[in-house]
Amino acid sequence: MKKNSRRRFGKWRQEASAWLIMLPGIILFAFFLWAPLLQSVRMSLYQTKNIELTNFIGFDNYISVFKKSDFLQALRNTFSYTLWSLLIGFLIPIFMALAIGETVRGKGFIRTASYIPNILPGLAAVLLWSAFFSAEKSGVINILLAKLGIDRMAFLSQEHMVIPIIVLIATWKGAGATALIYMAGLAGVNPELYEAATIDGAGIWKRIRHITLPAIFNLGSTLLILQIISIFQIMYEPMVLTKGGPDNASLSLMLLMWRYAFGGRMEFGKAAAMGVIISLILLVFTGLYTIVNRRKTEWE
Amino acid sequence: MKRHIRFLAVAAALCMLLTACNGGETPAGGTETDGGGNSSLPSAAPPAELDNISGDVVDAGLTCTLTLGNVPPDLAPAAEKALFEGYIAAMNKQYPNVTVVPAYYSYTLSSYVGMARGGTAPNIFQPPFTDPQLLISQELVADVTGALQSIDLLDKFSPSFIELLGSEGRIYGLPRDGYVLGLHLNLNLFEEAGLMTEDGLPMYPKTLQELAEVGRTIREKTGKAGLVFPASETYGGWLFTNIAWNFGATGEYALERVDEDGRWICDLTSEPVVAALEYVKSLRWEYDILNADATTTDWAGAHSALGTGEAAMNFAADDSVAEPTAGKGLAVDKFALAPFPSGPKGSYSLSGGTCFMFSPDTTHDQAVAALGFLKIIGMLPFMDDDVIAGMRAGAAAKRERGAPVLPPIPAWNDEDFIAKQREIAEEYTNVDMRLYDDFFHNILIKAEEPVFAQQLYRELTSAVQRVITREDADVLRALERAQEAFQEYLDDEMNS
Amino acid sequence: MSGARTGVIRDFDSKTAGVKIGLVFVYLVCAVIVLISLFPIFWVFMAGFKDLKEYMSSTAIIPRALDFSRYTKTWNQLNITNNYLNSLYHAAGSVVCALIFNGLLAYGLAILKPRGYKAVSSLVMLSLLLPATISIVPLFMNIQNLKLGGFFIPLWMAAGANAFFVVLFRQFFEAFPPSIIEASRIDGCSPLQTFYKIVMPLSKPICVVVTIYAINGAWSDFLLPYLVLGNGKWQTVMVRLFIFSTQQTINYDDLMRSVVFSMIPPIVLFFLFQKQLTENIVMSGIKG
Repeated sequence: MKKNSRRRFGKWRQEASAWLIMLPGIILFAFFLWAPLLQSVRMSLYQTKNIELTNFIGFDNYISVFKKSDFLQALRNTFSYTLWSLLIGFLIPIFMALAIGETVRGKGFIRTASYIPNILPGLAAVLLWSAFFSAEKSGVINILLAKLGIDRMAFLSQEHMVIPIIVLIATWKGAGATALIYMAGLAGVNPELYEAATIDGAGIWKRIRHITLPAIFNLGSTLLILQIISIFQIMYEPMVLTKGGPDNASLSLMLLMWRYAFGGRMEFGKAAAMGVIISLILLVFTGLYTIVNRRKTEWE
Repeated sequence: MKRHIRFLAVAAALCMLLTACNGGETPAGGTETDGGGNSSLPSAAPPAELDNISGDVVDAGLTCTLTLGNVPPDLAPAAEKALFEGYIAAMNKQYPNVTVVPAYYSYTLSSYVGMARGGTAPNIFQPPFTDPQLLISQELVADVTGALQSIDLLDKFSPSFIELLGSEGRIYGLPRDGYVLGLHLNLNLFEEAGLMTEDGLPMYPKTLQELAEVGRTIREKTGKAGLVFPASETYGGWLFTNIAWNFGATGEYALERVDEDGRWICDLTSEPVVAALEYVKSLRWEYDILNADATTTDWAGAHSALGTGEAAMNFAADDSVAEPTAGKGLAVDKFALAPFPSGPKGSYSLSGGTCFMFSPDTTHDQAVAALGFLKIIGMLPFMDDDVIAGMRAGAAAKRERGAPVLPPIPAWNDEDFIAKQREIAEEYTNVDMRLYDDFFHNILIKAEEPVFAQQLYRELTSAVQRVITREDADVLRALERAQEAFQEYLDDEMNS
Repeated sequence: MSGARTGVIRDFDSKTAGVKIGLVFVYLVCAVIVLISLFPIFWVFMAGFKDLKEYMSSTAIIPRALDFSRYTKTWNQLNITNNYLNSLYHAAGSVVCALIFNGLLAYGLAILKPRGYKAVSSLVMLSLLLPATISIVPLFMNIQNLKLGGFFIPLWMAAGANAFFVVLFRQFFEAFPPSIIEASRIDGCSPLQTFYKIVMPLSKPICVVVTIYAINGAWSDFLLPYLVLGNGKWQTVMVRLFIFSTQQTINYDDLMRSVVFSMIPPIVLFFLFQKQLTENIVMSGIKG
């Protein structure tokens, strides 16, 4: 009996059936993710009409995209989004985790409350905040500022404010969930470490510096790269909130890609070129990350 | 999985709870489905005028299914929806074997491309005049020359529409209506600011300079914005072209023109354009009459501001007079429409419009049926009792919902038809026409810029946004950037 | 949830004045966190009670009257029931596809490991970093060329190609003791039988989590659904909301009520499955 079944699951047969099991998933991944990625590259080298490729034009799409001033602006903005998200989006969850971690009574409630924004549909959150930041009478932030005697401000019309505000909105939505990860990491720190440090005479601040923060930064480096990658692809937030304005001050690379394709120009070849450019930048980020990560493990 | 079912149950219960709160009241509009064919009857009765549309069979042999993208949206007032129910009933009588499927569709280029390719675009849809040439060149619309010929309509096209809606001798669409930009006024704010004559007419601004001053008076007396200026996405540029024309950006300074080599060029940095943008900048920084969030205000936002009394003036057209009134709640007698203010070098009013076009899979039979429907709703220049009844019903519905009944801007080259339209508008009028006199008698119409207007508007909007958000913005520099970007676009699309 | 302190400040810290002030400060910060997290949601529910005039002109956060008929009127006029049902279909199909296809793929990568599986594994990880939106243009063309537009099929299938779900399943499967799989093999089960007789029944916790994420994802997504479903009759709640926000066919007050409608199901879902969601984040260190 045993021998029979062994033969039935002969080596190659076993492998073939394993591949067969994975096949449906692989086909779907190929259709939705891998093939389109390769097609983007091909398409970016063609002129398009309707949604068909017409003739090969080499790098003309790239040249045309690079030449336009909105590309540089979008590139600059996208990096600006990334920087702001390092300042705001990275630090806020850490502070939240630290603060919530110190509580005992009401901890569950505080955690739940801070997590709720994360489950709301992104579009609903953006529409909600666009009403909040409006400079018209209905704008809630301005209503609150007026109570403090501060003049009405047109937040979304100020080119220096619009990116930080969009990052704040994205952070509002995601911070609670990220904080939860940090809190889990902190709860995993061996309690004896704290006791030992206390016996050695370390006060609260010293414990934060030598135990808590190192634990956070270990976790943080992974979360950081994921965050950079996701903020780099920011699109629908500025699309809904400001349409990329004022004067393209919140235009991101992805939004520019969308504009080429679906924003009234139907230049699918150029949109594909934008997609390839963004993918390349993201691949560089990922590469840097793996190098840094490998170094880190080597040092340890 | 059990939990999953629990979720469904909760969601279902919630739906029921929300609908149950409704009590006995029947909401306006009933429960018409978005895209489905069998919509239930709305609560309001169709206008009595519809009964005059003939129920005689026009063509029993024509058999096809027709999806109508030009029916009113769910949120439309009950009267308007009832009107279309009546039109469709008439269509069912006249063409018993044509299955009519109402499918409200608000056209945008981005949604249309996918629907046209996937075969889900409605047979009839309504793009603005800025898009037909792009749609024709991308083969996204049906050729309806044959259907137009079959009802002898080809010779009623005015030449400018053939140019707009055709290519190489074939026709792909029909004009629906035109619009002319003017100035919407909220008379409540004019009254509050003491800007009414003894006869109860607003002292509205006749020139752009006066607009700035009147706006300032309104701001001082009422605290509200003098002018709401929708400057998001493409709207700012659209309105700005009209301002630029009136500063002299026409003729030798035209924004778009063909040079000696036959190349399309744009000229966005000429002296008149710079003066026009300086003027817009002064509205924000010198006169301070704009609404606070101009760069995120869109077309609907502008109508909301005027309709709810947050702004006194709005550059908007005669075809959207229903928006601030019936749509946003301004009483119809507190609304007026004035001509677009003139500038130092011109007094043009921008004119554009909407057309009917047909999805690329529309067959000849479907096109014929579609024209039959457009005839019932009074959109074709035929003068028989049906058409007159249809136009009457339309005017009655407008009056019913509290929107001004005005004579439309003619879309067809047919004097009798135009005269009849005017006559019916007068018959159903619900406004003091003195509030509209200047608009209908003292304007000089100018069509939108000829090529890729939407793209031009996008670039100009950027420039407008820059000067109204930065006090130190360099007007010329902002225009140079728009010039550079749009010229590149023209070179790509027209000159290569 | 015991009463012991698990943060930097420990129970053995003497209750000096400094520590006490610090704790008061901590609670103040937490109060601000809770307020910022919840107030906007509270506000939009309140804004939904206003009509257009009140919404535009009043600076009071609490509406003049808590008149539910405004909500029901918008609901009925916009026929949101229809969109809710469409969103439910979208979610239901997505859950099925997400569980089956991602589960099978992860099963292959974590347990069967045929020769060359590592290539697939790194391609899946790559997809975590370069999601579908980047190549949405060719994807859109493929879907239209195959005439798949207008109905849910491409959206359901897309849920079956979710790198994040594969990673979740895989982490879970890798923790299985190899002896269980071996035992089932010795009992004569084919790999596929092992999957649905042994692996899936033992994976209920992760299936619940993937189900919740798939529902929430299907509910919230609007870019691909917008391109696929357009303005057709299968339009979901979020596609509708997206169209409202880009094409000016709706008044602000109705828009705010639509925002509320779109938020209710995720909030209900969250309160039903709060425990599983937060536990998974803690376990896997990734959020949805």
